[in-house]
Amino acid sequence: MTINIALTKGRTEKMVLPLLKRAGMNIEPILNKGRRLIFNDDPNYHVILAKGPDVLTYLNGGAMDVGIVGSDILVEQRNPQYDMLDLNTGRCHFVLASTKDFDPGLARRKIIATKYPQITQDYFNTIGEDVEIIKIEGSVELAPLVGLADAIVDIVETGDTLRENHLQVYAELMPVSTHLVVNKLALKQKQGEIKQLLLQLQQAMQEAAL
Amino acid sequence: MSKRNLPIGTRDEFGPLALKKVQLTNTLQQRFIKAGFDPIKTPVLEYRAVFDAMAPTLESAYQFLEESGEPLVLRPDLTLPVARVMSTTGITPPTKWCYVGDVFRIKKRHSGGYNQITQAGVEIIGYPGSKAEAECLLLAAGLCDDLGINNVTLELSDASFVDTVLEQLPEVARDSLKQALFAKNLTKYAEQLKRLPQSPLNDFLAQWPWLFGDADEVLAKIPPVPALQQAVANLKQTVDFLKANAPQLQLTVDLSSPTPQPYYTGLVFRAYAKQSADYLFSGGRYDRLLSSFQQTLQPAVGFSFDVDALSLALPDTKQPQPTLIYFNDSQWQQAQALVQQTPNATLCLDDNLRQAQSQADSLGAKLIDLTQEVTQ
Repeated sequence: MTINIALTKGRTEKMVLPLLKRAGMNIEPILNKGRRLIFNDDPNYHVILAKGPDVLTYLNGGAMDVGIVGSDILVEQRNPQYDMLDLNTGRCHFVLASTKDFDPGLARRKIIATKYPQITQDYFNTIGEDVEIIKIEGSVELAPLVGLADAIVDIVETGDTLRENHLQVYAELMPVSTHLVVNKLALKQKQGEIKQLLLQLQQAMQEAAL
Repeated sequence: MSKRNLPIGTRDEFGPLALKKVQLTNTLQQRFIKAGFDPIKTPVLEYRAVFDAMAPTLESAYQFLEESGEPLVLRPDLTLPVARVMSTTGITPPTKWCYVGDVFRIKKRHSGGYNQITQAGVEIIGYPGSKAEAECLLLAAGLCDDLGINNVTLELSDASFVDTVLEQLPEVARDSLKQALFAKNLTKYAEQLKRLPQSPLNDFLAQWPWLFGDADEVLAKIPPVPALQQAVANLKQTVDFLKANAPQLQLTVDLSSPTPQPYYTGLVFRAYAKQSADYLFSGGRYDRLLSSFQQTLQPAVGFSFDVDALSLALPDTKQPQPTLIYFNDSQWQQAQALVQQTPNATLCLDDNLRQAQSQADSLGAKLIDLTQEVTQ
């Protein structure tokens, strides 16, 4: 049976394709995709490219069997499907960052800007602080610079963007990496095929680590 | 919100889908009643406390406050209300109930999921023996068969298995291992496993997240731990019983997943069709069902069909071409009799033949003109 895979397009796609190749998948059509979003040339794997949160929507609706998506999205969206494998690529982490004059011990209810309200809420819950969260859709770094928020919670890979905007890290939150997620019923219906894919990926990851 | 919008997660049902669901619920209910189950209907609105045994999934229920301040919910489950009835009305078991009704569970907004699901099922209360499970299994499998749903895979499990295995391990390791197992998070599971001391169970534990699939293959992989043998024997007995009595079913066993609700105690079963995106029916034994209502427990077994999933799995039946019957006021008896005899026919209530004909044309229907037959 064909496994239907939803792959997060963009950065995740670029980082994970070499691993998929090492695991034996033919990734040529995806590399030369043009404007294509659906790749069904291979009878074993059909692949679609989608935005991260949409990968989970396709998976939850049963339209796709397997999703490849960042763990930031899995946590933020409270993913109910099987988060089976950490693919160990696309590594980055969440930070709490702000301008140099920010005082983390500030004795008032802080305002935090973020693209990830759930993850931000989780973090401040664990340290026992209540904050006001403002959802921003992109370029979160702007918020403390123009006085909308006291600090931000965002994903950082190299830290270049923070430095360029004169922001500094005040706390490291959870790490992020690309994960493989499987629809619960699809795992039953296509057990053999999905187990095979996972074994191949695990082996490819071991080879890559050597 | 405009008065022209539906609340998120709701839908209207009409057309072929509505017809299918009506026919389906009728078939199910008639079959249950024919098998001697008594219909029971509980209210859509209940006190939230009735569903305490469902926590933490109770968070996804629609909640309200009664004037007194007591929290109410639109029922998220149909089994617990039956338990409430049993413990408060003095009905003496054994009893067999059947029900059809809607349950309400809030899905994620804008995810395409519906919050109102129709279920049809049975509860057998007061029989501790395996005949109760057997009746449920044969009833459910037989209905799928009659409805023309082939390729049904029946998945068996045992509610005590996972905890019995975990009891063999150091107490500190149990919770996190169970969590990783249920989430099928192979990465975390492997990390947890590394922290365990060497034991004869290690080979089994390494394969545990994959302990589902063909019934005979899975049951052959169970380690010879004495505490597990009762559950394994029960499953084997059920597998043999089904092979003999429902040979059309594909049988699988899953010993690595959580039970559908926390109140299950023994055999758990669920079924899906090859193409379905949801389980068609699920059920099992829950001998502690009455525990949230009273001290004395009653053995109980039950299952329910997800009528929405079932109607999607039904083979499409092609409706015959519709027929309109045009008649005049003196022909009511004749016209009504003809409607009964003709498949997919209905009375045409137009007052002149021209309107009737254009009505029939727009529906692609055949028009029978009874007034014509009189004049001829």
